[in-house]
Amino acid sequence: MSLVLVGLSHKTAPIKIRERIAFSEDQLSSALTRLNQEFELQESMIISTCNRVEIIAHGKNNQIEVVDSIKNFLYSYHSLTPPFLEDYLYIYQSHSAIRHVFRVASSLDSMVIGEPQILSQMKQAYLLAQQAGSIGADLKSLLPRAFFVAKRVRNLTQIGTSTVSISSVAVELAQKIFGDLSEKSVLLLGSGKMGALAARNLVDSGIQEIFVASRSPENSHQVALQVNGKSIAFDTMNKYLTQADIVIVSTNASSFLLQPSMIESSIRERKYRPLFIVDISVPRNVDPEINKIDNVFLYDIDDLQSVMEANLLERHQEAELAEEIIDREIDNFRERMDTQRIGPLLGELRTHIEKICLTELKAHQNTLTEDEYTRMEKIARKTAHKIAHPLITGIKNQDRNSASRHRAIKMILDIFQQDPQK
Amino acid sequence: MTKLLFNAAFGFYAVGLFHSVVALVSKRNLFYKVATASVGVGFAFHSLFIIYSGIERSHFPLTDLKESLAFFAWTVSLCFLISYFRYRINPLGIFLLPLVTVLMLGTVLIKSSPAPTVLSSSWIYVHTTCLFLAYGMFFVTFIASFLYLLQERELKSKKPKILYNFLPSLLQLDDLFLKFLVSGFSFMTLGLLAGVIWAEQDWIQGWQKDPKVVAAFVTWGIYLILIYLRLTVGWRGKRAAIISMAGFASVLFTFLGARYLGGLHSFL
Repeated sequence: MSLVLVGLSHKTAPIKIRERIAFSEDQLSSALTRLNQEFELQESMIISTCNRVEIIAHGKNNQIEVVDSIKNFLYSYHSLTPPFLEDYLYIYQSHSAIRHVFRVASSLDSMVIGEPQILSQMKQAYLLAQQAGSIGADLKSLLPRAFFVAKRVRNLTQIGTSTVSISSVAVELAQKIFGDLSEKSVLLLGSGKMGALAARNLVDSGIQEIFVASRSPENSHQVALQVNGKSIAFDTMNKYLTQADIVIVSTNASSFLLQPSMIESSIRERKYRPLFIVDISVPRNVDPEINKIDNVFLYDIDDLQSVMEANLLERHQEAELAEEIIDREIDNFRERMDTQRIGPLLGELRTHIEKICLTELKAHQNTLTEDEYTRMEKIARKTAHKIAHPLITGIKNQDRNSASRHRAIKMILDIFQQDPQK
Repeated sequence: MTKLLFNAAFGFYAVGLFHSVVALVSKRNLFYKVATASVGVGFAFHSLFIIYSGIERSHFPLTDLKESLAFFAWTVSLCFLISYFRYRINPLGIFLLPLVTVLMLGTVLIKSSPAPTVLSSSWIYVHTTCLFLAYGMFFVTFIASFLYLLQERELKSKKPKILYNFLPSLLQLDDLFLKFLVSGFSFMTLGLLAGVIWAEQDWIQGWQKDPKVVAAFVTWGIYLILIYLRLTVGWRGKRAAIISMAGFASVLFTFLGARYLGGLHSFL
């Protein structure tokens, strides 16, 4: 299979290049048809997301020509002049193309490793190519296999389990403290955008009750509306500190809004029920000393960031495990493809031997009666089968992955393919 | 028959412990399910064992150290199963199952001794059963407060690592802690009451000065203080953990240590 993959991604090209050669969904079908017809490809598929544009193809010609066809297509389709893309494109062939497809589907090549979108984007691209009729047997076995591998990676590693954005880290921490969030309440101090976003995220995770307090009652009303919360007067804050379980601080005050003494008295009043304070204001609005109070957990923006980075690091470690899985799956896939391709060759070998025997027999047809001829034909077929059988089993028993099996088949076919008359 | 049942129970507990450790090392939650199922089967065999040996000896099999170790193992695995099905806290098995296994092993190693005639009253069933249930629950309480402490430290450190994902939420642990604390305390109160009534009925002299009785009342006092502080002031986390550890140390002394000081309970 002369499988070729040509593309560029966030790793090789900046956004301003990527957007130049991106394909919109409506363009894809016609682009694929054009690619196959004008550029003489047998099979082709385009994956176009905001982070990557890749063309996977399988051509009649050799791989270098297929690569050139794809490049020419990209230039002509997007009205660019060579060598505009040369520095950004990567090219993978056969084995390495399979690996790349598996890695992309498993989200190992993503900007945020382990993010789940790429898999559905690839499935979408595959569906479109199928509808456009631009793919055949080879890609129809490669892509589903890649989806299978991606699922396997997700199941066998922890690659997609940890959270990797600031507000989702805040939610995750809240869940580690309180478990189920549906009975808990939030006090949102200030009307900063980030604060509202974090509150919104908590609502999505089941929080029902949100109190919003801001120095300007107008802002407070507005944010309360956004997050489906209740606006409260700013100077009643202390009362709500004893009531709420999660406090999000996102004001633009220049000094500490929450002091240790305030929290100490409110935690006593709360009978030491845990209190989670998220300070996402810069400069910080919560005295860091507060984290030392028992049952109070204070995270500022840097703390959230470092949790996020630790999670990312964990994903990278899991990615190593994923690479091992992919290695194994590539071997499996190649073996399957091999068996698929060997099947017809072996059939060809069998009919070829049979043909030789029958041709010889036909030369003597005149000297035989009809009855004799049918009997002889039976014998000839049996003989052909007896010659072909050990050859076929011999080849099948050869080392599955090695090139020697290929060589053996090719050699035998070459020997027999010479004109039997000569 | 009883020997076979006991060995089956022991075997399944050991398999359960093994799978909990495998789950911990391999980080695959499936093994926790296997571990729990295995402990469940072990528990069933263990229950049958207790019933059969009760029939065989025509008294409740809880009259010497050998039998009480086995019974303690039974209550701990009962607590494990209850807490698992109620809270689904996987790592509990890592802590509870080693104790079960050690207790079972202890049962195998210790020789049985004949029970004194004084144990003829039927109060013994209430007295011992309640106390061992209480001890099992206090062990869960102790583990829950220890896990709370670990998780609290992870969260405070702001650099949550492996433990963080491995442990349940603080509130869940707190809930487990409180429920087992209160039930354990109730059982202990019942057990002690039964003991006192029994001693009074049978005119046992000087039971108030028996080392085991004194130790048990000290333990009871510690847990009373813990419940009081938890419910009124709201003590949890580090402070609660320290008292709960002291409480369980006192349980261990009451159960295993006090016998060396002689007295009415010295056969246990």
